[in-house]
Amino acid sequence: MPDEEILEKGVLNPVQPEIQDPLLRTLLAEEPIATNTPQEQPQAVEPEADEVDCVVIGLGAGGAPLLARLAQAGLKVVALEAGPWHNPETDFATDEKAQDFLFWNDERLAAGGDPLAMGKNNSGTGVGGSTLHYTAYTPRPLPDDLHVRRDFGQGEDWPVSYEELEPYYNEVERFIGVSGPTPYPWGPARSQGYPLAPLPLNSAAQLMVRGAEKMGIKTSPAANAALSARYYQEGVGWREACTNRGFCQAGCSNGAKSSMDVTFIPLAVKHGADIRPNSFVTEIERDARGYVTGVVYTQNGEQKRQRCRHLFLCGGSVETPRLLLLNELALTSGQVGRNLMAHPGLQVWGTFADEVRPNKGIPGGLISQDTHRPKDADFIGGYLLQSIGVMPVTFAGQVARGRKLWGQPLRDYMRNFNHIAGINILGDCLPHANNFLELAEEKDARGLPKPRLHFTAQENEHRMNAHAEKIMRGIWEAAGATDIWSFQRYAHVIGTARMGRSGDDAVVDANGRAFDVPNLYISDNSTFPSALSVNPALTIMALSLRTADKFLESLK
Amino acid sequence: MSAPTYPSGTVRALLATPHVSDATRTALQARLDAPVAYEPQFLAPETFALLEAVAARLFPQPDRPDSPIAMAPGVDQRLTEGRADGWRYDALPPDREAYRLGLGGIQEIAQELFQTDFMGLNVEQQDAVIQALAGGTPPGTTWETLDAGRFFEEMLAELTETYYAHPLAQEEIGYVGMADLPKWSKIGLNEKEEREPSLSS
Ligand SMILES: Cc1cc2nc3c(=O)[nH]c(=O)nc-3n(C[C@H](O)[C@H](O)[C@H](O)COP(=O)(O)OP(=O)(O)OC[C@H]3O[C@@H](n4cnc5c(N)ncnc54)[C@H](O)[C@@H]3O)c2cc1C
Ligand code: SF4
Repeated sequence: MPDEEILEKGVLNPVQPEIQDPLLRTLLAEEPIATNTPQEQPQAVEPEADEVDCVVIGLGAGGAPLLARLAQAGLKVVALEAGPWHNPETDFATDEKAQDFLFWNDERLAAGGDPLAMGKNNSGTGVGGSTLHYTAYTPRPLPDDLHVRRDFGQGEDWPVSYEELEPYYNEVERFIGVSGPTPYPWGPARSQGYPLAPLPLNSAAQLMVRGAEKMGIKTSPAANAALSARYYQEGVGWREACTNRGFCQAGCSNGAKSSMDVTFIPLAVKHGADIRPNSFVTEIERDARGYVTGVVYTQNGEQKRQRCRHLFLCGGSVETPRLLLLNELALTSGQVGRNLMAHPGLQVWGTFADEVRPNKGIPGGLISQDTHRPKDADFIGGYLLQSIGVMPVTFAGQVARGRKLWGQPLRDYMRNFNHIAGINILGDCLPHANNFLELAEEKDARGLPKPRLHFTAQENEHRMNAHAEKIMRGIWEAAGATDIWSFQRYAHVIGTARMGRSGDDAVVDANGRAFDVPNLYISDNSTFPSALSVNPALTIMALSLRTADKFLESLK
Repeated sequence: MSAPTYPSGTVRALLATPHVSDATRTALQARLDAPVAYEPQFLAPETFALLEAVAARLFPQPDRPDSPIAMAPGVDQRLTEGRADGWRYDALPPDREAYRLGLGGIQEIAQELFQTDFMGLNVEQQDAVIQALAGGTPPGTTWETLDAGRFFEEMLAELTETYYAHPLAQEEIGYVGMADLPKWSKIGLNEKEEREPSLSS
């Protein structure tokens, strides 16, 4: 038997050859093949003479908007992004495998009762971050999403109100060009409608309308950060409308999807931001007072240092807490890595006699928020419903994992691809002591500990899923589907460096500033105090602009 | 619903048209042109042959007797390069170890159930071995420390994604999403563009 203790540590090739199956004996006698990424050797790093006003780590939904704002204010800003800078037209094939490079493929360990699938399910890299491959579904939270504790006595309230965020939602929607319905059927009346009309409904959305109508559930075209018409973008020029490729979960090759690389980043560049792709930050340096003085990063195999007066950490909700833990930074509250939440994202699939061709059209086409606070709920919070599109490789992988089909039955089922449509939910999630991120003993190719994420869905998530599954099955039955099945999933990592009113139980304040470190700000999915019952990207961008404004005010 | 069938050749025909971008064509053509003979770099030849035999049961291809879509080379290449897909079940050892242990464990199941190597079994017996693995509690000491259900899920998902990324598998399911230029106009229910294939009768 393999030594259990070593196996737990996950060290490569720890097993004793003599206890292996005979076939493998020779193999195991050999040395393991080293990973092709060389380990970084510690080396003295030349101090960069230049001190800049701000360094921004990570250029996703949390990093890009504030980068633009800081540059617009005339500050000297440097952005360090671990991934490359792509040319969408030439780099983004309409092929799922060919676009694997858009995902954060360094290994993360998924533990707990409901291990979180990472990689293509969860996080990206590159100038644009995860927005390069997000579905661009951008609903706003409803105001009561921000105070579940006040309303239900559990979970956490936000230290920022909806009213404070509203102007930022308006601004982001207008700037990046969100297509959506005006008026919007749920929530309070808006001070400003969507800048573009909704995108056309694809077949899955039409089927959902058909089923939902029979069930008495109201639906509406969704808000999507993809252009339904040409749109003028400062720093870019005219961006062309969506061509219904349905390939948003990989990179959009024609710039119609409002990812950061075609919106806030060109704006930042226009105002002088210095963007350094392929720059992986490993160290955050401090002075005796505990202020951040600069960062050390590796660019194309070379270690460099960048000094700065202020640091904005926007690495996403896994890498941000990981960097804090690695550097023993901002840990006083004890909350770094804790409060890990993930949206229940249960999907229900059905087969239709009609031709669906689920790969065409914007994938997140139709929404219903009738389930935001269901009257018959036996759970806290709520969820939304949306129709979903899908590409074949992703779908097949889910069928294999979720439906446990293999052999001829798997091939037979997949032949129905053009007749399959799905609906999913996106629901709130409560923080729980068992759900957290930590550094594992196992090291990555850089010699840094891998992150380990513990996630186990709790009673509230189970009840919400059960409620939602009944409704979604009902919709598909009413729409005429056969062979209905559900796929249990959790998406988006949230809350690992949360914001709050006090440093006793939160890492950053309402303005994103670390309680422990006065010149450190965090802006990404990790600061959310609660998960919200909507997709996160729009709120991350709105908060990012607000964080920048609060920071700029503090300089005055 | 019975499984629909689509005419073959649709994707290959589209690859030559301006409906497909250069980047897309390059990616798909490379898979079509992959050499049939593959020499494993990471797995020993007999272990690789075992993986191929398992893959052949997970994706039986009686319709492609001479040139089945190959899935095992992708695994071997990935393990050789030490590439990951962003995550791993904490319950499993690192991928290289998991494949080595898991394939050894499959031999063990074959021995326990039929006193013969997996390769020596007929297809029904091989399927019984895989069923035991998929069921999550197969016989054999390997599975006391290696989570059978998770290992099977990971291996199946990897092979599945390799299979359906292949243009021939995409033809099989009537998928032509790669031919997306200049755009899709007919995206509603029961609508299709001329370049989209119909079921063969
Ligand atoms: C397939 C998919 C579909 C999605 N669809 C939607 C959707 O429809 N709507 C929605 O709202 N959300 C969606 N999301 C989620 C959304 O994309 C993310 O919530 C959001 O982009 C997260 O923003 P972020 O700034 O927190 O992190 P990211 O956007 O992930 O940005 C973090 C960046 O930091 C960089 N980085 C990390 N560590 C370092 C380091 N040490 N040094 C330098 N750089 C570093 C990374 O490379 C990355 O570019 C989707 C996600 C996926 C995976
Ligand atoms: S559906 Fe539209 S936004 Fe999405 S990838 Fe295609 S063109 Fe881009």
